[in-house]
Amino acid sequence: MKSSVKSSTHSRAARRTPSAGRPRVTARRRLARWRAQLTFDRVSFMVVFLGLPLAIFVVFVLVPVCEALFYSLTDWTGFSPEMNVVGFANFTKLAHDDIFVHAVRNNIELAIVVPIVTLAAAFAIAIVVTMGGPSTGAVRGIRAGGWYRTVSFFPYAVPAIVIGLIWAQVFDPASGLLNGVLTKVGLHGFTDFAWLGEVKSAMPASMFVIIWGSIGFYTVLFVAAIKGLPAEIYEAARIDGAGRLRTAVSITLPLIRDNVQTAYIYIGILCLDAFVFMQALNSGGGPDNSTLTMSQYLLTTAFKKNQFGYATAMGVVLAVITLLFAAIVFAVIRLFGGRDERGRA
Amino acid sequence: MTQHTGRFDRRTFMRGALATAALLPLAGPLAACSSPSGGGGSTSSGTKSATNPFGLKDNTSVEAVIFNGGYGYDYVTFAADQVTKQKDFSGVKIKVSPSTQIAQELQPRFAAGNPPDLIDNSGAGIIGFNTIAEQLETLDDVFDAKNYEGTKIADTLYPNAKATGTYDGRFVAMNYVMTVYAVWYSASLFQENGWTPPKTWDEALDLGAKAKAKGKYLWVWGKEAATYYRTLAIDSAAKEGGDEVRLALENLEPKAWSHPAIQGIFEKLGEMVTRGMFVPGGAGTQFTAAQAKWSNDQQAILYPSGGWIENEMKKATKSGFEMTGFPEPTLTDSPAMPYEALRAASGEGFIVPSKGKNPAGGKEILRAMLSQDAATNFSKTKLAPTIVKGTVPADGFGSTALKSQSKMLDDAGDNVFNYQFYDYYGMDSDQLVVWNSFLSGHTDVAGLTKGMQEISDKVANDSSVKKLKIT
Repeated sequence: MKSSVKSSTHSRAARRTPSAGRPRVTARRRLARWRAQLTFDRVSFMVVFLGLPLAIFVVFVLVPVCEALFYSLTDWTGFSPEMNVVGFANFTKLAHDDIFVHAVRNNIELAIVVPIVTLAAAFAIAIVVTMGGPSTGAVRGIRAGGWYRTVSFFPYAVPAIVIGLIWAQVFDPASGLLNGVLTKVGLHGFTDFAWLGEVKSAMPASMFVIIWGSIGFYTVLFVAAIKGLPAEIYEAARIDGAGRLRTAVSITLPLIRDNVQTAYIYIGILCLDAFVFMQALNSGGGPDNSTLTMSQYLLTTAFKKNQFGYATAMGVVLAVITLLFAAIVFAVIRLFGGRDERGRA
Repeated sequence: MTQHTGRFDRRTFMRGALATAALLPLAGPLAACSSPSGGGGSTSSGTKSATNPFGLKDNTSVEAVIFNGGYGYDYVTFAADQVTKQKDFSGVKIKVSPSTQIAQELQPRFAAGNPPDLIDNSGAGIIGFNTIAEQLETLDDVFDAKNYEGTKIADTLYPNAKATGTYDGRFVAMNYVMTVYAVWYSASLFQENGWTPPKTWDEALDLGAKAKAKGKYLWVWGKEAATYYRTLAIDSAAKEGGDEVRLALENLEPKAWSHPAIQGIFEKLGEMVTRGMFVPGGAGTQFTAAQAKWSNDQQAILYPSGGWIENEMKKATKSGFEMTGFPEPTLTDSPAMPYEALRAASGEGFIVPSKGKNPAGGKEILRAMLSQDAATNFSKTKLAPTIVKGTVPADGFGSTALKSQSKMLDDAGDNVFNYQFYDYYGMDSDQLVVWNSFLSGHTDVAGLTKGMQEISDKVANDSSVKKLKIT
């Protein structure tokens, strides 16, 4: 980095940099030097790049978070300025609220199944379009790989709410495309089958829609990551006799571990929310609440039941679960990550 | 890029940010305490007189937020124009704005103590009355005032106009539109097949069997409207068992759902479910799509709903359908209330928040709405009766449904009732789950009863929810 120092002001600053080997300076000299460093250039830099973002962060993130924490301890109805602090009563109530517990279970189910299926499928597609090609010459993808990549990205370009509404129509018992096709091919058991209305099928059908809508993005993410890997490794692996599957699992996957981790956390958070998809598919929470998510229940509690304090407590629980989820993903990936993990961001 | 001395690297920044963050939880609650307070200073009222019963000052402004649903909001604009036509109020500025999500949109304004002067509190985003009733002006003076024709407003209304808007003894919501709950059918289809509307549940079962013979179903339901069958069951049970049934439900009494009248009707509904008299797959069908299976495809022959059904399905009704309503069937031949008894309620609750800037202006708009011109305009353009009597002509402006509503209201006379517990406490979304499950055949009558009672008990036992005592 230092080698690129060019302008004179910068090089002066660079010369003053204390290095570890030098004898210790007195406090006064240190203060004087610090003052000398407070040039307009430096101060304005700090204001713009530190002060401003920090202020925005404080006003729009930290303050609302703290306010939310406070509201979760009150019995605020949302429609009056008055509220009483009730301590942790809302949280105790939540623990005994069977519908909320059900919603938490649904969200956890989503956060386990959807990421695994989506990322596995996305990884498979990414492997095929980047290194599924002929086994002679340079490692490359199948023919027209770019085209498949584009097609798989299509659903992601459609807004989630539209995806939800389209699939709600596809799943319609009588006039839906899915039952139309199934009954046409002779599966008459599916006549008037309510995909989103049966406890058995509502959750899998909803999961399918989220997966369908998400695969494309993660495919593109993985393709980009794989393309950034050095070709020599693959050539070496091939010379050593590794097949395609072996290369994918033992070489590519560990090398893009960071991307998988990021992707897992992203889609996991999406599943812990899942509001848009679920609201479009089954705004009421599905048969026997089988697709109800925490965020949906929160909305009902806040705006239909006018219990804002209680709803905010749900929000706090949702945030805690999300943080826990991220921590677990980090821990698990680190567990499988080997020793080289330390020191990487 | 060159790097400076490294004193201000990312780590230092994060440390600073964390220190700031650590301080904030202290500041947060303090800010939170202060932010939602503050009240709207209301405009001091002018002198009250016979022509200005609420003391609205000229040259003030009034703000109304109206639920923009099936009835639109232009009828309030029409009424607002009537206000400014009065000689005392020519300088009053009235702003009427539509909203489809009343609770979401107005919640911050209520919290900040700055609500509008008039609100049409209805639709899916209705603000629960148990939450806001205390913050509303009483509207007794509106009904005591004279309308623009000089008649006392109270004398021009259908009976019970106040009851539906009274909470804890305070009349705070002026429900404007008369809604009749009934069972709806196609008069032409029934005539063609020689069917008659069933007066008892046993007759309904017979009719269901006849419909099956023709390859049709008796009922249809959609996932967001499964609770219409809850309404049907309660209406019918209230007629069968009298007021005690309704009041037990309203006051969230234990075992309210186990009343014999309710159980008897649940049993009949359960039999219809097991005998396949419901169009299957309702739990997965969007409700207007389901309703079209009745109004357009005629796959089902009956549908329980409020009088809004005609307007709602206007574009999806078969031509020559002749939509007509009849009172819900009763369990026995000798119910506590006559067969003609109806759940008829005024809906579209207009409220005037006390903390608004100009409550007198809100009331003045209500006065205009209850005067002849605006009320007739409403019935004519929306094909629905208001609480103002005598605004619907005998031909119902050419609508068979509106005509049958007027007839049912006349037949019922004083035997009209209403209940609102599921709206007070926001229970509908929880109840939908249970009803969808029951109508799909996944739970039996016992499961339905247990589910409904649990929802009721949950609210009853929740000390943080303010209860309303209904008598």
